[in-house]
Amino acid sequence: MTNNNLNKLLAFCVLFCAQKTSIVHALETKVALLLHAEPEIPKCFAEGLSDLTCFWEEDEERAGSADQYSFRYTYQNENSSECAVTALPAAGGKRLYFCRLSQTPCFVPLDIRVFRDDLLIHNRSLFIELVFLLDPPANLTLTSTGTQGQLKASWLPPSLKYMGDSMMYEVSYAMAGSHIGKVEEVQASSELILRGLQSGTKYKVRIRIKLDGISYSGYWSAWTDPVLMETMPGDLDPLIVSLSLIISLVLTLLSLIVLMSHRRFLLKKIWPIIPTPESKFQGLFKVYGGDFQEWLGHSTGGLWLRPAYFYSEEFPAPLEVLSEVSLGPALPSSALPPKASEALGEEEDEDKKLKRVDSALMEGWRETPQEHWPMDQLRAIHQHPAPWTQSSLLESHDAYVTLNAQNHSGEEPLDDILEETLPLQVLFASGRTSSESRSDLGSFQQSSGSGCLSSQSSFEYPNHTWPPKGPGYTYMAVADSGVSMDYSPISSNKIDDIGKGVIYTNEYKNEIPAHRRPIGTPIHFAF
Amino acid sequence: MSSISGPVVVLLMVLQWAGRGLPSPVRPICDPRVLDRFIMEARDTETALRGCKAGCGVTGTFVVPLTNVDFVVWEKKDTGEQALEVQSGMSLFGQALGAVRESVSRVAVQILIDNNKSNIHSLGQVLRSLHIQDLPLPPAPAVGDLVTRKVSSLSELLHVHTNFLRGKVRLLLTNAPACQQNST
Repeated sequence: MTNNNLNKLLAFCVLFCAQKTSIVHALETKVALLLHAEPEIPKCFAEGLSDLTCFWEEDEERAGSADQYSFRYTYQNENSSECAVTALPAAGGKRLYFCRLSQTPCFVPLDIRVFRDDLLIHNRSLFIELVFLLDPPANLTLTSTGTQGQLKASWLPPSLKYMGDSMMYEVSYAMAGSHIGKVEEVQASSELILRGLQSGTKYKVRIRIKLDGISYSGYWSAWTDPVLMETMPGDLDPLIVSLSLIISLVLTLLSLIVLMSHRRFLLKKIWPIIPTPESKFQGLFKVYGGDFQEWLGHSTGGLWLRPAYFYSEEFPAPLEVLSEVSLGPALPSSALPPKASEALGEEEDEDKKLKRVDSALMEGWRETPQEHWPMDQLRAIHQHPAPWTQSSLLESHDAYVTLNAQNHSGEEPLDDILEETLPLQVLFASGRTSSESRSDLGSFQQSSGSGCLSSQSSFEYPNHTWPPKGPGYTYMAVADSGVSMDYSPISSNKIDDIGKGVIYTNEYKNEIPAHRRPIGTPIHFAF
Repeated sequence: MSSISGPVVVLLMVLQWAGRGLPSPVRPICDPRVLDRFIMEARDTETALRGCKAGCGVTGTFVVPLTNVDFVVWEKKDTGEQALEVQSGMSLFGQALGAVRESVSRVAVQILIDNNKSNIHSLGQVLRSLHIQDLPLPPAPAVGDLVTRKVSSLSELLHVHTNFLRGKVRLLLTNAPACQQNST
């Protein structure tokens, strides 16, 4: 029980102290307001219908005790009365002296006189109904009206009788975080709809009260604590949405039209076609799994070369193929144009080399017919057979391929031999380790002709020990860029028999644009 | 025909007499802005004539009602007593302003006084609209009566007039039963 009583007493004290603190705080606020707003002394304010509070301040240095002061007041047609003075300390080295009256009549002049030691120090005449200083409105609430850009502010007006229609409110609202706001006045009302607000924005609203000054008047009260609320989010204007859709649709159609008109160009740029040999080697990959030998064995007869297959946009890398290697004195180094030989000796920077060599070759070929200088080389080789190892043709590390046509019929002259009918073998079966780019020599159809074609590549002879071939070989210069092949006219070992046999030149070289001719080192096929 | 027209004529006469005699029902005037206008005009007149030299030529004393209102005491009075106090006061002001009107010579002052007298008459109409019965005017109040006092200048007369309108008249009108019924 004792503990409970103590707890109750403690709670009461806390509440009383809190209330006292709030009252003192409210009084301090009003005192500060009047010190700023009212020039006359003493400063007086009424909080209700029948009270009046007056005060004045003195410097601490000159201030006297409360009993030194006398506060005398006189209503019209009445006798004078006196009020008890109380003193309170104030900030800034001041002291405040208060006097509070009760049962104060309105609408009648009130004369006030303040004496200090019977010496008049302050004098004032006022109407009590004209010095109201009310408490700020309570319960300021913000609600949504359901309409964009609006908020409804409502509050509880002071419970003062007879003054309801005389109360005037000032509502201040601004965006949260902004110091620039708007103010609206409303009279004799307890709510206000704020319009013209931005959607989806938080606003802070506060309010203060004052009497309208016709029958009752006074000072503006203190502002309430600000209340925050966010407005409704804005909806999209239907007109703007529809216009945006139409514009986007029009732009989409235009872009589609442009894309469709340039689809081929764009496809080439974005998704270039990777050349595949499937169309040229029907069934090679799907049926035979890339086994070229097997495919050759089962494919239809006849070699066929499609000129378009060898078309390439890239500069071909040089592929020098030796024809028959015969032992003999070294060929003169002038077998090849010196510029071309130098170019052949390099594998690096092929593009630039190709360009230089191309120009050199063009010059050289202007001088000598392009189609004939490999033949000249062959003639030189046969006339002066020399180990190929010393030939400039073997100076490079390029691949050398020989195609051997074994003529079982012996020394039969070369009749009308169509290159297309000569089979190409052993390109992939030698087990060489050359790069793949050099191994693709095109599509050939194995024929069942009189002879067969054999081939050898320089990779089989890494030390430039190209074995010489016997007579009876037909040579064809082939330039392999890795993607395309360039063939020179077929020549025969029997140079003298050139005129006898009809050798069909390879037209493929002509298919390749002149500026993209390979370096020109011929691939000599020996048949 | 004469037998029919006779009763018709009599009937019309009866209706006409009834129309004259019976007062038409007046709607209560409860808008506080009506009285506010009278108050502001009285204040403007007081302000305008405050600096009038020599009291605008007005001399003599005027009996005016007391204007002080103790809300606690006022609430204890009934409406009739309040109405009586208001009406007697308005009557005193009417008499005083009438005397002032006769003594002033300046046209501007006359116009202002006439306006205030008109407002007092209108205020009487407002009180009647509230169904506050016109009570017979009390006899001329004597000096020293608790409800009256004397003033000796035009500015003080107008000042008291303004305070009377702001206080007792307004309290009576805003709390009239007829206005309370309309608001509920």
